[in-house]
Amino acid sequence: MPAVGRIKIRMPHTISRGQVVPVDVLVTHPMETGLRKTKDGKVIPAYFINGVDIFYGGDRITHCDWTIAVSANPFMTFYLKADKAAPLRIVYKDNKGGVYQETVQINPR
Amino acid sequence: MSRFSRAFVLLACAGVLTAGAWKYSFAGEEAAPRIKEYTPNISSQEYEKRYNAVYGKSTEKMAEEGNPADFMLDDGKDLFGKAEGSAGKSCASCHGANGEKLKGVAATFPKYDPAINGINTVALQINRCRQEHMGAAPLKYETYDQLALELYVKSLSNGVPIKVSIDGPAKPFYEAGKAYYYKRHGQFNFSCAICHVKYAGHMMRANLLSSNRHHADHWPAYRLDWGAAGSFQKRFRGCNKNVRQEVLPFQCETYRDLELYLTYQANGLPIQVPGFKM
Repeated sequence: MPAVGRIKIRMPHTISRGQVVPVDVLVTHPMETGLRKTKDGKVIPAYFINGVDIFYGGDRITHCDWTIAVSANPFMTFYLKADKAAPLRIVYKDNKGGVYQETVQINPR
Repeated sequence: MSRFSRAFVLLACAGVLTAGAWKYSFAGEEAAPRIKEYTPNISSQEYEKRYNAVYGKSTEKMAEEGNPADFMLDDGKDLFGKAEGSAGKSCASCHGANGEKLKGVAATFPKYDPAINGINTVALQINRCRQEHMGAAPLKYETYDQLALELYVKSLSNGVPIKVSIDGPAKPFYEAGKAYYYKRHGQFNFSCAICHVKYAGHMMRANLLSSNRHHADHWPAYRLDWGAAGSFQKRFRGCNKNVRQEVLPFQCETYRDLELYLTYQANGLPIQVPGFKM
């Protein structure tokens, strides 16, 4: 079975200090809405990511509230001003208590 | 009910029965199919123009940014090196640790195999290898592990142009695949060729009907509609269901012939897996 919460981060290879860079993040998650039913009429329970935190160094730079409207295996892009050498950490939390995170080190030249 | 009308009803029943028998004997003519071939309504240049106007490079861009099937590819690589079965061998024991000996091999599939007297596909060959050389149980089609392994084996040929042969013994199977493609089936009385040859490049509601030239080169693919990766034959089944046609099992003879027909249409295009589809 496909594992839940595997994260892939994609960024430019070389970054100069102060540059605004796009960061692409992909996470595997079924994102069940809780509205679907199986063939025998049972409701498939809701199972989705409802919070995303992004930390850069020690600071939490942004937080996203997600709902059932987000697709399966969500993909997001955000822009980051790379003004310090620090780890970028992305944390996903889902409604069943799962926490999935991935860190990438940013070293602007 | 009078005797006369009873006799009439019986006669009518007999008529229906014989009509049914006639219909089935007619369907038995499939051994020598007569097909009506269509030609595309528009040229290939015009098709490219319309495709770019509707979709552009959107799917390529999405595949490059983040294809969820990339994780499946990593899992496939692990499975390739995992020893299974009574012989204690893995795929990597024969084909090289990173599958060096399989580079470009998937580009020649599907192809005729005398051992099964039929068309051999990558998925079928993996299962045959598992049974004959590894002594392991065959993988169930469309399960996660089966797709992952098929995806990895195909990805070893990434960038290699498809080179499928239909000469010699493969010819009748190619013709059978073509006959299936051009024959009208099901409640809506559609053939595959109506949409994908004759009306390719026209709009069907919000979708552009795709040309069969570009069907075979990036399967298994992640499809947004499914929210998961799937094989080429899963797509056949989806298409069959949409036109209220009989849905056939995976890797049956008809689907393998059809896969040969469609892959031959894509000859010369490079393999790009995992694909990304709307």
